Amino acid sequence: MKTAAELKFGETGIIHEIDKSHPSSRRILEVGFTPGQEIELLNTSIFNDPIAFSVRGSIIAVRKSEANCIKIL
Amino acid sequence: MKSEIIEDSPLITLVGPPNSGKTTLFNYLSGKNYKTVNYPGATVEYSISKLQKKFNFEANILDSPGIISLVPNSPDEKVTIDSLYSHPRFGIPDLVILTIDASQLSRHLLLAKQLLDSNFKIIIALTMTDLLQRKGYNISTSELGKELKCDVIKIDGRTGNGIEQLVKSIELNLEKIKALGNNLPKQIHNNFNVEYLLSSFNDFELIEKKVTSKILIEQKQINLNKANRQLKVLNNDLVKNNYLDTTTLKIDNILLHKIWGIIIFFIIMAITFTSIFWLARPLMNIVDTSFGFLSFSVHNFLGINWFSDFVSNGIINGTGAVLIFVPQILILFLILGLLEDTGYLARGAMLVDKPLSKIGLNGRSFVPMLSGFACAIPAILSTRTIPNKRERLLTIFIIPLMSCSARLPVYALLLAFLFPAKESWVAGLALASIYILSIISSTVMASIINKFKNKIINAEDNSSFILELPAYRLPKFSVVLSNSYHSAKIYFKKAGPIILILSSLIWFFTYFPNYNPKINSSNLSQEKVIQLQNSERLSSSYAADLGRFIQPVMTPIGMDWRVGVSLISAFAAREVFVSSLALIFKVTDSEHKLQSSILSEMRKAKIEGTNKFLFTPATITGLIIFFVFALQCISTLAVSRKETGSWRIPIIQFFLFTFIAYLFTFLTVNGLRAIGIN
Ligand SMILES: Nc1nc2c(ncn2[C@@H]2O[C@H](COP(=O)(O)OP(=O)(O)O)[C@@H](O)[C@H]2O)c(=O)[nH]1
Ligand SMILES: [Mg+2]
Repeated sequence: MKTAAELKFGETGIIHEIDKSHPSSRRILEVGFTPGQEIELLNTSIFNDPIAFSVRGSIIAVRKSEANCIKIL
Repeated sequence: MKSEIIEDSPLITLVGPPNSGKTTLFNYLSGKNYKTVNYPGATVEYSISKLQKKFNFEANILDSPGIISLVPNSPDEKVTIDSLYSHPRFGIPDLVILTIDASQLSRHLLLAKQLLDSNFKIIIALTMTDLLQRKGYNISTSELGKELKCDVIKIDGRTGNGIEQLVKSIELNLEKIKALGNNLPKQIHNNFNVEYLLSSFNDFELIEKKVTSKILIEQKQINLNKANRQLKVLNNDLVKNNYLDTTTLKIDNILLHKIWGIIIFFIIMAITFTSIFWLARPLMNIVDTSFGFLSFSVHNFLGINWFSDFVSNGIINGTGAVLIFVPQILILFLILGLLEDTGYLARGAMLVDKPLSKIGLNGRSFVPMLSGFACAIPAILSTRTIPNKRERLLTIFIIPLMSCSARLPVYALLLAFLFPAKESWVAGLALASIYILSIISSTVMASIINKFKNKIINAEDNSSFILELPAYRLPKFSVVLSNSYHSAKIYFKKAGPIILILSSLIWFFTYFPNYNPKINSSNLSQEKVIQLQNSERLSSSYAADLGRFIQPVMTPIGMDWRVGVSLISAFAAREVFVSSLALIFKVTDSEHKLQSSILSEMRKAKIEGTNKFLFTPATITGLIIFFVFALQCISTLAVSRKETGSWRIPIIQFFLFTFIAYLFTFLTVNGLRAIGIN
């Protein structure tokens, strides 16, 4: 299964689950990355990290290492 | 602050996610003028005030740092959450007003649910409904209120729309609470686990669909919409990306572009720091001329005696030498304010996260570092938004190296010495390079400290960068202007008295004990006599005694005791360096312009007992280097103590930075001399 960190520029995906063992998983959930939501990779920073997603009508930037805990269908 | 509140009246706490309009609402309710910023985490301390008189009832309101959940992730969030359960001074709030951004409903409802589940009495203030409306959606507050079982009121803290209803609802709720007795809130953080979050968000999606409707133009379509809603087949993209601001997406494609993004980032930074010099020039000239004229007239009016010297030199020149630079400080605050208000700062933080994380910092260190260019004290406070403790301590550690506005007067004077006024753009470029130097030195320092992290800063945590990028907004110029006026006023109030007191002290120590030196005045013009008296008085003064004591330290860096005394007095506040120079080099002359007379006195000055010029390109550059590194600010040390929790870090900062300053000044002065620049 893909993770959100592997999405390409402009690609969308539906969140399948959040890896609960990741230390940032709670914050990831709290800002609105929940299963069933569609997210789109909007922008990447200069070194391809962090990356910005649209989720629930807002733009959230997260590090790639943290985006890895978002599993995509 | 005590007078700001009314004892024994109800406490209303404003909470809400970052950027949801708390401070804007707080300002409207209290009639205050706190800074609102388009960056999550601009408020890191609570502020409290009483309700404005015009609302006709008494209550205290508390503004708090933004939170997105009742489980804290960083110290600024902890401040808010702790104050909800029991504020250290004001106890438990009687009523909580939760601001929720209407265009972020499903995300922001989390806090509403957690607060309600914990038994808080809340009213929801729905903000940004104007933005939602422009996108063609409407939220029914009555339906949302029914879903959540609390009052929901649409407000706009910028215009005051809906505030009347909000105040009415506050009154009613307070009455109800009084009648029923307030149930204590329950601290049930452990219940807010992942399962709780997942099921809550499911509910929120349903609620959002239920209460949101598309604004349709034709009646028929409204009916159709209603029908759809009853069948719950309202199309799904209502909740999707429709709310995303398309302009923001377009701007981000440029500003976060891999190549352009970085180029624009540097251009923005360069413009910021060069404009401080040339934009302020005309204003500075006015201040400069007025002080020069004032000092000259007073001196003429009072004649030649100690009192006249005290007023014209000690007070007018001493403080004026610093006040000349207030326009520059004002412009610095103005530009930083404009940047804050657009929403660019969050992008800046994202762009620099990767490079900063390599040296043990975080993208969230960017805004504290940038505000370090205005003043280290709020900058150190704003590091509370950094969740990871080690990254936060490291950011605090290097903030004193950022070139704060108190150094600006010093640099401006020294650069004006190096580059004549006609070439003020060269001075502007030189200033920009000083700022770049301060950025480089702070990052190098960070990476070195990071290498020894376990020796100096020991704390380990999950390093994280999750940051909302707010929609871009055109900055409201009037708001930014009044904010920078207030910042400059605070600067003035804080620095003004210190400068006045120290100027008087320095004047005293340079004028006494030998205040009326005997000079063999035969065959000399009156002007010459005064000049000889001045230098005789100074060289037998208390300041000179101190100066001779520190002379051994000053000789290696090519300076004499007079600069030494100025450097020591600058440890109280950096700007005092300038007034101290003005006093020691006795600038009262007929030139009518304070700054140019300081400069011409400096150009004439010789190292005591020799025939060599004291201020040369080499020593001036050396002084600039000294100010880049030295930690000459008592308040910074005090805040660093408070925010790091012990004296350890401030003591290391003080000795390390001052030692480095001296070392690099030594290397600069002697290095420049070695290559023939004197
Ligand atoms: N369009 C719109 N903007 C608002 C509204 N309320 C606040 N703002 C703006 O949103 C930004 C963030 O507000 P602020 O009060 O600093 O939010 P805080 O972080 O919750 O304190 C500010 O620039 C406000 O001018 C509103 O109802 N509509
Ligand atoms: Mg605020």
